Amino acid sequence: MGPATEQVIYLELPSAIQHVYLLDTLIVDILNEMDFDEETTEQVILAVIEAGTNAIKHGNQEDLNKSAHFKFIIHPDKLTIIVQDEGNGFKREEVPDPLNPENLLKSSGRGIFLMESCMDSVTFEQSGTIVKMVKHKSLTEQKCESV
Amino acid sequence: MTVDIRKKEGVTILDIEGRIIGSDSLALKNIIDEQVAEAEEGEAKILLNLADVRMVDSSGLGIIVATYTAVQKKGGRIALLHPGGNIRSLIVMAKLVTIFDRYEDEDEAIASFHKSNN
Repeated sequence: MGPATEQVIYLELPSAIQHVYLLDTLIVDILNEMDFDEETTEQVILAVIEAGTNAIKHGNQEDLNKSAHFKFIIHPDKLTIIVQDEGNGFKREEVPDPLNPENLLKSSGRGIFLMESCMDSVTFEQSGTIVKMVKHKSLTEQKCESV
Repeated sequence: MTVDIRKKEGVTILDIEGRIIGSDSLALKNIIDEQVAEAEEGEAKILLNLADVRMVDSSGLGIIVATYTAVQKKGGRIALLHPGGNIRSLIVMAKLVTIFDRYEDEDEAIASFHKSNN
């Protein structure tokens, strides 16, 4: 059962890639508390891990003097996740499309695509150093397909 | 993540358990690279058993794709066994369905390696 009013959880992680496990643990608890279904839970976990990995690895370049900042805003009907890094940012439009045939067999470059596929909305702010993702509870039509 | 390695009828089976996220990807890459390097030319037959894998992120998927490329270059083959969790969805989303052979039965998967040699 989700909260009747908005609740906010903050998390700040040093830029070491192993800390994405902490993210996994936290987001699972939040999603269970909000009563998301299993498939949606799986999608949001993946999106959060991808955003966290991007912030630590690409944004902060795994510099332990920099932190990745997470804000989870729990609404009655949706979850908003804001991730901020301390890097130089990037331009979303310059990220290659991983579905382009020439990129299909590349070993990297799918993180943002997966975030956008799994969440209802993903927006980048402040030169790409902030990513804001939203998942609604009421939207049953999911973009992440299962087979 | 833990990985147990066993051989069966010339096929190297990696039984992977847990999550393949974050730093797991690099650890898995090192293990797979070692197995591919040890294989003779044309004899790299890798079966990734994903039955006990709960979650794979884009880094983990990237390692599996990189393994496919490395094994292909060596004239070998990679296949996926029990691709459960979210890996099935990832493969569909990333348009890799036609790249990876997927099996739900270990004996069938192993037999496929020998058929593809004919």
